Amino acid sequence: MTTTPHPQGRTFLSPLTSLFSRVETSLWFPIGVVLALFVFFSLMTDSFATLRNFSAVSGQAATLLIVCLGATFIVLMGSIDLSVGAIVLLVGAVSVTVLNALNIGWLVIPFAALVGAGLGLVNGLIYTKGKIPSFIVTLGTLSVFSGIALTLLDGRAIQFNAPGLENISIGQWIPRLPNIALWAILAWVVLVFIGQRTRFGRYMYLIGGGEQVARTAGVPVARYKLYAFALSGLLAGFGAILAVARLGAAGPSLGSDLLLNSLAAIVVGGTSLAGGVGGVHRTLIGVLIIAILDNGLNLMGVSQFLQMIIKGLVVIAAVLVSRKSGADQVIK
Amino acid sequence: MSSRSTGNSYPATRPEDAARASGNLLEVRNLSKSYGPVQVISDVSFDVPRRSVVTLVGENGAGKSTIFNILSGLTGPDRGTVRLDGKAFAPASHRAAVAHGITRVFQEQSLVQNVPVYENLLLGEEARFSRFGQWVDRDAMIRAARRIIEEARLDVDVRRRTGDYDFSTRQSIEIARACLTPALLRGIKEPLVLLDEPTSALDRRDEEGFFDLVRKIRQYGSLLFVSHRLTEVLDISDVIYVLKDGEMVTRVTPEKTDEHQLHGFMVGRERATDYYYENRQQTALPTTPALRAEGVRVLADGPEINLEIRPGEIVGIGGLLDSGKSRLGKAIAGVIRPIGGQVAIGTGPLRRPEIGRATREGLGYIPAERLAEGIIPSFPTAWNFSTGSGGDLFSNRFGFWRGRKERRAVRAHIGALAIRSATPDLAMSRLSGGNQQKVVLARWLERKPDVLILDNPTRGVDAGAKQEIYRVLRDLTDQGVAIILITDELLELIGLSNRILILQHGGVVAEVPAPAEDKPSEQTLVGLMLSDPGQAPSHPQPAARDKIPAPAAPETHLEAAE
Repeated sequence: MTTTPHPQGRTFLSPLTSLFSRVETSLWFPIGVVLALFVFFSLMTDSFATLRNFSAVSGQAATLLIVCLGATFIVLMGSIDLSVGAIVLLVGAVSVTVLNALNIGWLVIPFAALVGAGLGLVNGLIYTKGKIPSFIVTLGTLSVFSGIALTLLDGRAIQFNAPGLENISIGQWIPRLPNIALWAILAWVVLVFIGQRTRFGRYMYLIGGGEQVARTAGVPVARYKLYAFALSGLLAGFGAILAVARLGAAGPSLGSDLLLNSLAAIVVGGTSLAGGVGGVHRTLIGVLIIAILDNGLNLMGVSQFLQMIIKGLVVIAAVLVSRKSGADQVIK
Repeated sequence: MSSRSTGNSYPATRPEDAARASGNLLEVRNLSKSYGPVQVISDVSFDVPRRSVVTLVGENGAGKSTIFNILSGLTGPDRGTVRLDGKAFAPASHRAAVAHGITRVFQEQSLVQNVPVYENLLLGEEARFSRFGQWVDRDAMIRAARRIIEEARLDVDVRRRTGDYDFSTRQSIEIARACLTPALLRGIKEPLVLLDEPTSALDRRDEEGFFDLVRKIRQYGSLLFVSHRLTEVLDISDVIYVLKDGEMVTRVTPEKTDEHQLHGFMVGRERATDYYYENRQQTALPTTPALRAEGVRVLADGPEINLEIRPGEIVGIGGLLDSGKSRLGKAIAGVIRPIGGQVAIGTGPLRRPEIGRATREGLGYIPAERLAEGIIPSFPTAWNFSTGSGGDLFSNRFGFWRGRKERRAVRAHIGALAIRSATPDLAMSRLSGGNQQKVVLARWLERKPDVLILDNPTRGVDAGAKQEIYRVLRDLTDQGVAIILITDELLELIGLSNRILILQHGGVVAEVPAPAEDKPSEQTLVGLMLSDPGQAPSHPQPAARDKIPAPAAPETHLEAAE
């Protein structure tokens, strides 16, 4: 017999095959939240809706977005990467050290990305070869990477000594738009394309939706899991060097807020932790929500502690509302 | 247990029963239900007399599950009435239906794997065993669960983990729960048990136990039954209702009909006698084999299996559920790593099989558990279709996905295989089992394979779609595709295969030739499956389904899930 046609349907997975011609209906809600937050903060503070503030917000949100892009694929395939913040810290520390020792200039950018990819690969190898849950693997490497980084930094912030490098982040090739935000947008476009129009992207959905099905059909699941973790590391490394360039130094607190913010942004954007549902295109919205909230509450002078409470509630509320009502799925 | 379980004759003749027995336990009148524009059932009426087995038969999508959903409180009808025991009955929830004595065995298993059997048996009944509100009396639960198991005559230790038992035994446990908890625990005198394809997952031994249980229940309660297995339907039913496209076609009694006629009612066409297209059976050419397996071992203590199949040949593999036949299929395809052995595809070298490489070399594998391994139900048809060819056909060498080609290809297959109501974007969960299976088949057809390994390709598939799948298989053998067919359906095994291998405990115990003009009988094969491997099955085996000898020592079979 047919499975019971569900009255609520499964519109959340209305095909993502064509990217720009159709917008998923479920995207309207998070977009609405972004607009509502925008209007709210514009009314509440004079300083929110100013060009100067937009420059500031985009600068802050850029690192988060870049780091989230890779991590979204991990979540999409049903795994989790807790170590992105630690990778940012370690890559930042290594890059600054190398930059000060070897004076490699611009080459530090691909260098950082490759170091990041290597760290991601370590995660992926332990995960696929050791058959250990990704949560445990990245929880472990989170600690290991942080420890190595803090040893390198000796617990202090180290400034880099490469004149002009900061321009890749804080320069403005497009007026009023810091370059770091430009990079983030470019990375987003590329990654959305990868997610929707490539084999890698499709396999991420398949592995997340039904790993056993994909494997039985001959999809090289383990190899693509490795790719995903390497990509996540690569983007974290890229984000790290941009953040370092923006700040002018790598310090112990680099990337410390990324662990929670990245997962929050991914989930608020609508990528399910169960895997197979969501996508990179949605993560932009999640990042915007988190960044606008951070910035707006700061401008309103809300205390840090209250901000934490509000942010937590927003994450829960966003998922609660966007969840399909009546869907009898197992929640873990 | 029931107050009226003393009588064992049917129909009831004792005077004290006459008054109540004259009525029906369940009366369904003019039931209609539609989902959106789709009318699923319209104007359906039927009766379930007291103490009887009533069967609904019909193709997938005929509306049987919808009727079950209404009766078990999962959904409500648009129009029509249901009367249970003479009173209007409109359950608001599954719980309400259960409280009125209607229990149900779902098509998909709903047991929790990680808890002991007794907890599954008494799921939802814990309140009965609690003392002082919260404290659960485990011993009482175990005692109650044991009574259910004994009543159902299962060889199960209720304290063991449910997942330790194989699929068939778990299904038996679930059936026992649905059939016996109403009477044994809740004191319901006349339970009504809804069984949706209960036997499709049972091996032969458990099937026998199931039929015993049905006879037992029928002494006091009634069963409403859905099954695709018509021989079995004819065996156990008192009344058969035939549904077609949501409408009740006819009501027949088993004495007055046969399988052939029922097929005719269901599909609205007289079924061709060559259901399995036996006249199209190819004779295997003595050319190089399409696939060669050497020394494959699937069970740790099992023997080595050597196997060769030639282009155009269908090799059937039969055996009980614990015979390792599914594992053999997976091992040859390289879905799981065999304990030992190598496989060569076509003229390729002998190697340890690996599914990714095997598919590139021209092999396709269709798993038995469609929802767990075959398809991703929430994903679109096109995505499920292209899953096996993502690495070559539907992406270019830079890794870009060829979406337009994918959609064109899936449309072509939807047309060629008559996959009803499918579009490239429709979620697979919206398709019937038969149509889902056709999509899985299309996945491999697109690759023009040389070898296909099919594990129960028609499980949960309706008669019409079944026959279409058989036709496709014959088309493939015409083109020289070699097919390994692993199946629990004996008639399918006999009808389709050129030769049949019978497996026991991971080893081949017999090879039976099955040319079109001289097919082996069901009895022969069943005999071979049950025979003691040490001795030849010389003594005549009793006839098919209902008189299979229980093995002397029913071993606990642990078919480890990979």
